[in-house]
Amino acid sequence: MIEDRAAMGPEDSAPEPTPEEVQRPPGPARYRWYVLAAVVVALLALPLFRPMISSYNYVLTLGALILMWVAMSSSWNILGGYAGYISLGHSVFMGVGGYVAGVLLYYHGISPFLTALLGGLAAVALGFLAGFITLRTRGPAFIISTIALLFMFLLMTDNFEYLGGAAGLPLPPLEVPQEWLRVPFYYAMLFIAFGAVWTSYRVAHSKFGMGLRAISEDETKAEVAGVPTRLYKISAFAMSAFWVGVAGGIYGYSIAFIRPTVFFTIAISAQMVLMAIIGGKGTVAGPVLGAVLIYAINEFSLVVFGATEFNIVIQGTILVAVLLFFPLGVVGTLRKMNRLPAFLNWD
Amino acid sequence: MTNVIQVAILGLLLGGVYALMAAGLTLAFGVMRIVNLAHAAFIIASAYISFFAFDKLGIDPLLSVVFVMPIMFFFGIAVYQALFRRIEGSAKFGEMTVLLTFGIAIMVEGLLGFVFTGIYRKAQPGYANESFIVDGLFLPEGDILFIPKGQFFASLLSIVLLVGLWAFLRYSQTGYAIRATTQNRAAAEIVGVNVRRVSAISFGLSTALAGASGALMSYLFPFFPFRHWQWVAVLLALVVLGGMGSMKGAVIGALVLGVASSFVVDQIGPTWGPMTFYLALFLILLIRPQGLFGKEVPV
Repeated sequence: MIEDRAAMGPEDSAPEPTPEEVQRPPGPARYRWYVLAAVVVALLALPLFRPMISSYNYVLTLGALILMWVAMSSSWNILGGYAGYISLGHSVFMGVGGYVAGVLLYYHGISPFLTALLGGLAAVALGFLAGFITLRTRGPAFIISTIALLFMFLLMTDNFEYLGGAAGLPLPPLEVPQEWLRVPFYYAMLFIAFGAVWTSYRVAHSKFGMGLRAISEDETKAEVAGVPTRLYKISAFAMSAFWVGVAGGIYGYSIAFIRPTVFFTIAISAQMVLMAIIGGKGTVAGPVLGAVLIYAINEFSLVVFGATEFNIVIQGTILVAVLLFFPLGVVGTLRKMNRLPAFLNWD
Repeated sequence: MTNVIQVAILGLLLGGVYALMAAGLTLAFGVMRIVNLAHAAFIIASAYISFFAFDKLGIDPLLSVVFVMPIMFFFGIAVYQALFRRIEGSAKFGEMTVLLTFGIAIMVEGLLGFVFTGIYRKAQPGYANESFIVDGLFLPEGDILFIPKGQFFASLLSIVLLVGLWAFLRYSQTGYAIRATTQNRAAAEIVGVNVRRVSAISFGLSTALAGASGALMSYLFPFFPFRHWQWVAVLLALVVLGGMGSMKGAVIGALVLGVASSFVVDQIGPTWGPMTFYLALFLILLIRPQGLFGKEVPV
């Protein structure tokens, strides 16, 4: 991958070229832009088809959740996929976003639709701080410290009265007629998902992204080649926190409460990791595809097996199987076989 | 003064058990560079075996070590052969093991929850709620010290097992091979060590230690399937703190932090106990990223 990128020449330092110039897709590959446009239009228009959707609120809730997972796994991918630094504590950023927006709403009555971005910035700040400390280590020790970070926040939110302790804080619901209640959340999540995927895409096609991939391939060599590894890694950590934090702010509002066990749980991090890996970590389209896939599997197994622990077993099994048999994920494996459809090829 | 001694004793007893739990983790990392996120899940699974052996058959949890350890030993070897052998040559082995064991941990957690449900369990052997009472000695007149019997026996067993492990690594042929592999895998292979066999045995030993820890956990700490995340976070913090792969580091780290957390619990409150480990982890990463006794590990 690195070689391909290097062969593309000096566009990295030049003003950002449009994606077409970078990729120069041969004739048929151009249709990926039409596919993208169609998907975007369909997603934007979905809430307009109210009379034609039988369980309108359910569909929009589902859509909003899938979009949230798309955003979160794409963000995770910036650090875990491009830079190869696996974070198993990324839900900490979702929690920080959720709590910042939630607390501002609870105590000051400011809508999370305004403050979610603030939550994202708080997550970025935490990302910088945590990255500064944890990125002194590589590999396993880094992964472990991200888990410790998550549990620290779980413990703190569990025990601070101001934040509602273990019971959390109830949030006043959005004052919108019941039948339209899900629409704002849907559009908010759609915006977040766009933002996250766009960020991921821009990172993938920048000098910064190339540096991250170099770090992932061989950090020592990257360092020798002049990549400011420490700066890049910390920036990647902070950047991958932003949209997760924003999503957390909106999510807390949409379920009308914030509680430590809703956000600061390793299960949420596990989902991000699973989605990115099954889709293909280190690719732009992978986490998007993975989010849709895993979410579909979850819903399916909920319907078939009911809300039992069996869901968890299925997820663990999928993760193990994917790692053992096709660690590159769907997108990576298809690319290796030269069978990757152009509309999934955004790298 | 007496209170300080009391808290320190409780901390040391706790640290002894933590040391046993962390020893298994650090062994797997030292020999095979496997970061086993499923270690605590294995501990909880073993705790269920001991719990039901006590509950249904009346077998003492401390005695159950006799069969829990062999079961977990062979289980570990099976897991190693089935899963880790496949990723041996992969480029990012360290990361792969973390993700793979992450998946295994989720599977074990789900299975345990599916079979045993999520309710709290705790075996209640007679000694679990009794204490030795120490008075006289050097203590001020009228003061007494409590030494909980359950914790005391647990630490004793843990010391026996750790000394046994040390002796095995130090004096047996296999132990020699394990240490050689820990030091330099490639060189060990060149001088004729069957690295795969050694790895399988070490992983089995590591899970057997998880088994023993589980037997202790079954009556020391209330457990349920989801609990393993909290445990693994604490144990991993310990292992990083001591220096990944360093047995000495894990044991000393466990004892020191056992005492420290015991004081935190006494002074600030029981809920803040685990915070000691996380804070210590971040502090040590700031000051000495390779841990107390760690060498710079090529990952």
